[in-house]
Amino acid sequence: MEKHLDRVMDDVLSNPGVTSCVFVDHQGLCLGARGKASTECAGIIGAIADQAAKLEPQHKSPIIVFENDTRACIIQRNGTITGAIFKNI
Amino acid sequence: MEELRKILLELLSKVPGLYCVLITDRDGVPVIKVLTDKAPDLATRPSFLSTFGLAIDQGSKLGLGKAKTLICTYSQYQIIQINKLPLIISFIASDTSNTGHILGLEKYIDPLLVNLTVAVADTQ
Repeated sequence: MEKHLDRVMDDVLSNPGVTSCVFVDHQGLCLGARGKASTECAGIIGAIADQAAKLEPQHKSPIIVFENDTRACIIQRNGTITGAIFKNI
Repeated sequence: MEELRKILLELLSKVPGLYCVLITDRDGVPVIKVLTDKAPDLATRPSFLSTFGLAIDQGSKLGLGKAKTLICTYSQYQIIQINKLPLIISFIASDTSNTGHILGLEKYIDPLLVNLTVAVADTQ
């Protein structure tokens, strides 16, 4: 059943610089994780996407980027699924 | 105990839609209880909370090992209970609240349980 998601996660991880990715459902439960990311961060990723979407509810879901000197975390909600990609920059 | 209550209150405000955090013993007797005014009365009573013990006993018969977490979603509320025997952590939240976020609170509560576990284990 989750073969398709597995394939997508492998595709994401094959991009240069990407260290891990996490996918979360609308309840904040982890659908899948690849790489170094922990499944425990699923809830907080869903919550961040929820809170950011409240800023402009009339527009579609925003892309949220957290960045430090070396790494970035990119979060976006699409329908009921939220994806987070962690990458080196 | 007052400090523990303060930390739990802080956690309560971290998750939107989280109404109540209870730490009880295996019989559902509250050791500490932090709630907002939206928390349903019936769900905070020992008669309801103690069913967790029965449920995980039955769940362990599935052959998948000891049950760690029980999530019940109702029409208006969700109850998330975590097995920390001899203690049980119960979260009562709105049905639309972020379940994963609530499960993530476990790591904040874990270090607070050390002393409570010893106290409860001594009395049993």
